[in-house]
Amino acid sequence: MAGQVTVEGTIYERAQKHKPWLLAVLSAALVLAVLVAAGIGAVHLPIGLLARQLIGGDSLSTDQQIILFTIRLPRIVASLLVGSALSVSGLLFQGLFRNPLADPYVIGSSGGAVLGASIGVFLLPPISVAGFGTAALLAFVGALASITLVYWLARVDGRTPVVALLLAGFAVSTMLSYSSYFLEVLDRDFGTGMRVLASWLHGTIAQPTWPQLAIVTLMLAIGLAGSVPLARNLNTLALGEEYATHLGLSVQQTRIAVIVIGSILTAAAVALGGLISFVGLIVPHMLRMVLGPDHVRLLPATALTGALFLLVADTVARAAIAPAELPVGVLTALIGGPFFLYLLRKTKQEVML
Amino acid sequence: MKPLIEFAGVGFSYGDRNILRDLDAGVFENQCIAVVGPNGAGKTTLLRLAAGTLAPVCGEVRLKSRDLRFLKQREIARSVAFVPQNVEVPFSFTVEEFVEQGRTPFLKMFGGLCAGDYEAMRRAMELTDTWSLRSRVFNQLSGGERQRVKIALGLAQQPQLLLLDEPMQHLDIGRQFEIVDLICLLRREGIAIVASMHDLALIEGTFASVWLMSPGEPIRQGSPDEMLRPKVLEIAFNCQLHHRPRLLERMRNPMEYTV
Repeated sequence: MAGQVTVEGTIYERAQKHKPWLLAVLSAALVLAVLVAAGIGAVHLPIGLLARQLIGGDSLSTDQQIILFTIRLPRIVASLLVGSALSVSGLLFQGLFRNPLADPYVIGSSGGAVLGASIGVFLLPPISVAGFGTAALLAFVGALASITLVYWLARVDGRTPVVALLLAGFAVSTMLSYSSYFLEVLDRDFGTGMRVLASWLHGTIAQPTWPQLAIVTLMLAIGLAGSVPLARNLNTLALGEEYATHLGLSVQQTRIAVIVIGSILTAAAVALGGLISFVGLIVPHMLRMVLGPDHVRLLPATALTGALFLLVADTVARAAIAPAELPVGVLTALIGGPFFLYLLRKTKQEVML
Repeated sequence: MKPLIEFAGVGFSYGDRNILRDLDAGVFENQCIAVVGPNGAGKTTLLRLAAGTLAPVCGEVRLKSRDLRFLKQREIARSVAFVPQNVEVPFSFTVEEFVEQGRTPFLKMFGGLCAGDYEAMRRAMELTDTWSLRSRVFNQLSGGERQRVKIALGLAQQPQLLLLDEPMQHLDIGRQFEIVDLICLLRREGIAIVASMHDLALIEGTFASVWLMSPGEPIRQGSPDEMLRPKVLEIAFNCQLHHRPRLLERMRNPMEYTV
């Protein structure tokens, strides 16, 4: 809806402008970033030829096409998906916990994912389903299982108090991630598994296959579609549980829906990229400073910005020290952390977060 | 005439701590009631029971003759608005976005706000004189402004009954009179009001009736004249008012002492 509505012949001008241009700018930046990222690598692909190829032309040589469609694009799509999923899930959890410092891992998914991945790396033979290896599959299962456990632990008399969720999430996550050290000690492989696990723990978007991407795209689509009706509910929930209940919001249903959708999004991101820190924390945060706290407005902008942010980070991660690669999670932490602190200090006086 | 809200044999307790017992009372259209009593007497509990966010342990609370237990909270919130004492908002919502939440009971799952919603919001902000504040951040408002914005949220629900929990608390005397004026204005708009009040001096002239709650005692109802007598208050509040003659005088003549 635009900034104004006609009310009985007069115009109701909304005080808070929706800034629809922001979505357009973000989309344009996203297209540009995809083209630039697709050009960067061991073999340089010129941006003009890339653009023509992608809108249906046949401007690249066969070798270049193979590089583009089997190496560059899958990785680009993967970072878009992971960034978007993590950011939206961060937005949902921040709304649910009424705390701008919550992130997608806040209710214990990271611990379960770590343990699952360790089991996959150290104990099980390497198998793969739809392109996902054992580590990714078990990380996905582990993330969902630990969230289920946390939710069950925090449930009292048919209600799930937020504080109980946070505390149970913290305890379960810590327990599970430390128990993965057992498995590392048992490792007879003299460090290979450790290295695999370490790169996964620090967040690495490896070389995904198209079937993998299709599955994660589907999960992201489900997650985004499910978030749309929740966004307004999160605005109401910001007034506090009792007030929201009085206004007719079913707080418990909203809570369950946010946890389910946030978990699907987080687990999807974990399966593709491991544990990538700060994205889910800072992207919604940055946008809140531009757009204000209305979740309805934040949702599409967060999905786009998250995708853009992680694409840029991942491109830098693979280009910065080529031919070697940084785990993208290291980069998001190194850039995201200080940036977050800067924002925090800069806005401390003006905006109460 | 049927009451808007009716308490029929209502009892309530937190665990084994009894708060209310055998409460029979009704709030009628256009009525303006002050609920007074010492801390812990159950003033807020009474308001929450009327708002449907607490269910009575025994007895029934009825909204226009219908048991609240069988009504959806959305339906209740379209007739009854509850303005809580404290609201903590974690994000920097603007006044407009805050007041918009009052439309929640009217919104469909996927629908946005329509012209009628904006009209209700505008009316609510105009009545409370908060229209000019609408692009300000709620968390940065002063106490008096915040109180009026909270009332605006309640009015955006287009209620027939407005429940105010300690609306004058932490306000200076000038802002208290703003709220008093607002209450009188809303009364003329035909909205019934039940407010829990600590400052007894502000009751006379604003509220037509007083419900006096005292722990372990049945509620006493009457006009401010009957209820705000030193003898009655001394017993209800368990204190000695005659040691404070100036306080008594101020209560009888609030205007003289506060202007």
